[in-house]
Amino acid sequence: MAALDVPAVDYTDYTDRQLAAIPLAVLVLALAVLGGWFLMTGAPVTPGIEFTGGTELQVTTGAGQAQIQDSFAALPAVDGQPTVTPTAGGNTFIVTTQSTDTDALTSAAESAGYTVESVQETSASFGSDVQQLGVLGLAAAFVGMALLVFVLFRSLVPSVAVILSAFSDIVVPLALMNLFGIELSLGTVAALLMLIGYSVDSDILLNNHVLKRRGDFYESTYRARRTGVTMTLTSMSAMAVMAVVASKYVFNIPLLSQVGVVLVMGLAVDLMNTYLLNVSLLRWYKFEGIAR
Amino acid sequence: MIRENWRIGLLVIFVLAAAVALFAPGLGGGVAANATDGNVTTGPTNLQYGLDLSGGSQIRAPLSGLTAEGVDVGPRGGNNLTGQVASELNVSTTDVRVRPGNGSATVEVYSGNVSQRAFASALQSAGYDIQRSDVSDGLTKETYDTAVEVLSNKISESGLSGGSVQTVSSGGERYVSIEVPNQNRSELRELVADQGQVKTIAYFTVEGNRTPSYCEGPVGTNASGNGSANGTGPTTCNVTALPSQQSFQDVRPVQQDQSGRPVVPVTLTEEAAKPFTEKMQRFGFDDPSNRTCGYGRGGGGHCLLTVRDGEVVYSAGVDPDLARSFASGEFVDDPVYQTSAQNASQAQGLQVDLQAGALPAPLNLKEGTSQYILPSVAQRFKGLSLVTGLVAVLAVSVAIFVRYREPRVAVPMLLTGLSEVFILLGFAATIGLPLDLSHIAGFIAVIGTGVDDLVIIADEILQSDVSTGRVFKSRFRRAFWVIGAAAATTVIAMSPLALLSLGDLRGFAIITIVGVLIGVLITRPAYGNVLRRLLTDN
Repeated sequence: MAALDVPAVDYTDYTDRQLAAIPLAVLVLALAVLGGWFLMTGAPVTPGIEFTGGTELQVTTGAGQAQIQDSFAALPAVDGQPTVTPTAGGNTFIVTTQSTDTDALTSAAESAGYTVESVQETSASFGSDVQQLGVLGLAAAFVGMALLVFVLFRSLVPSVAVILSAFSDIVVPLALMNLFGIELSLGTVAALLMLIGYSVDSDILLNNHVLKRRGDFYESTYRARRTGVTMTLTSMSAMAVMAVVASKYVFNIPLLSQVGVVLVMGLAVDLMNTYLLNVSLLRWYKFEGIAR
Repeated sequence: MIRENWRIGLLVIFVLAAAVALFAPGLGGGVAANATDGNVTTGPTNLQYGLDLSGGSQIRAPLSGLTAEGVDVGPRGGNNLTGQVASELNVSTTDVRVRPGNGSATVEVYSGNVSQRAFASALQSAGYDIQRSDVSDGLTKETYDTAVEVLSNKISESGLSGGSVQTVSSGGERYVSIEVPNQNRSELRELVADQGQVKTIAYFTVEGNRTPSYCEGPVGTNASGNGSANGTGPTTCNVTALPSQQSFQDVRPVQQDQSGRPVVPVTLTEEAAKPFTEKMQRFGFDDPSNRTCGYGRGGGGHCLLTVRDGEVVYSAGVDPDLARSFASGEFVDDPVYQTSAQNASQAQGLQVDLQAGALPAPLNLKEGTSQYILPSVAQRFKGLSLVTGLVAVLAVSVAIFVRYREPRVAVPMLLTGLSEVFILLGFAATIGLPLDLSHIAGFIAVIGTGVDDLVIIADEILQSDVSTGRVFKSRFRRAFWVIGAAAATTVIAMSPLALLSLGDLRGFAIITIVGVLIGVLITRPAYGNVLRRLLTDN
């Protein structure tokens, strides 16, 4: 069992404050990134065209990036010229613009001799509706999860530990998305929602082992950690593979790769939050909180 | 023996049922909302594929218009309300719809050019106590149902197969969603962009210089209707002879008449034939000598104008034989005639409009979304996303084998995880869910959570030797508490999306929720049972 066994961290070497410091610092940093983003761009994350409205074309052609840029230059510029991004095969390009004059764009692409592989157009009003709903859905999911956790554990500190780490599991990937230039899309919203489910798994497991079973705190933590790390690493390996295989360098299925990337980030953050933040809060609760 | 292993039995039953749902010919399909031909079922399974995986076009847009609720029409039912509001707003009476409820009515105006303020004040001047706040953007569900029906007809009339039209709502706002495989986006847009209201208007010369009061306003954008305005040419009059497509009982495919013109033979309904004949008699269309039509060629004469969405698409005089049957009244018993258009493609369009009916309100394409995927690209997505899923499963397998090094634990774990996906696919085939990329992401998510839970079960049971069934039971129950709690959070996290119906994410949410439920109720208990068989003696 050597390969995937968890390192035998001796939690007794560290105080609760020391354990919690790292995940909390990361959380504060992530919130700072989102805050800074908000001050600079007016939104904490960069919404994609599904939320802002606009058109995305995918074209294949032997022409180069600059040439493609030129073929759309004649169109009236709405919020700047379209951006052209190359993808895997070298012959496929994604053209993105805020304009919704999609007919003009497709005919420009066709008259330049490009094959239009896909067109996606979203009007600004529809996009903002969807964005509102997305935020609402995310908030409702989070609140629902928080209520359920309270019902399950019926005590403040363990519940807060779960909810705080779930919160961090969403916020840190959001900040990382900004840093890596990943836009908020329907796919990434889906991934963030899935993170709520995934991240709570290992937290519930930990709380259950520590609170509802007999035995030494460190022994329970070790068992929960062994199972939990296996779970998270298994999921992470599936998501990492999906992110790579579906990426624009291999299969070029953007939705799947976005979901994969966000989940890998979130699950990595979850490892940190569960086994540093949640453990420290639980230990404080078990040894000091209950005693008081 | 059977009582002890019922969990495995249940899993086997579900896997078999899924296999039947997936592979039995003629099954599946379910209720594909208003699909004209059902969604395309391709390949060896009963699975259906959505736009992402089959290619084609999708347009999603709201209908333009306003709705006023709680109009207190009282017992008289607001009979003349339609006319009052229409003339107040200067729209056609077909663009105002009063839907009486118990005591109060809902009034809709089918136009994008009327403001909420104007609509409210039109109702006020008709004598109803309506504030601007009672008027909202958007139209009723009934109107959307009509629009969905008309659009389905239009799509099947124009020979596109496999299209589907449905109403989707997103955050209280309704949209019509039109999906057609193998169709170019701009062609589909052209087909659905127009309302397609077809009227027949009698246009004729009247004696003297004054336009009689029964005449209606000018038609067409070039407004060559009422000749009295420009002073030159004869004084003419327009009267609506057939207000809408509903006057037609039967519409035949486009044919060519003796002179090679494309014509559409039509039959009027019984209710429409009598008033139509009376109008023809009253305005002189029953006289075989009144066969000249000067519409657009100097004016005057006797013409029947075919008007589509306010544009005159065709004008012609009445054939002498037809005039004689108007005169004798025979037409009422055999209300058949031919209408035509300037060229074959226009005649084809006219035929589709007549057959399918008119949209109650125009689609507001500026407020929606559209999507097109080249069928070959979608086919590629289909294959590649399958490969992606398999590779993800492979990654999970490697991780599991590395961790447990025990085929007796790992192999059933993988098989259980896969059977979960298999049952879920059977579910998708049963309800006729058209699979899209978001569903594939959901499937992969289900594999992930599924294996997570199996790890919990395995670790709990394997922690030390399982000697008796009682120990097994208590461990299994403990593992199940965690699994159930985790499943409940996932279901709660996904349900806003499934309920709010954020368009494309809805499928993802539903697949994840159903997958988790199948997992918790069927496959994961069965895995515990398998482990028990393999590790204990009973």
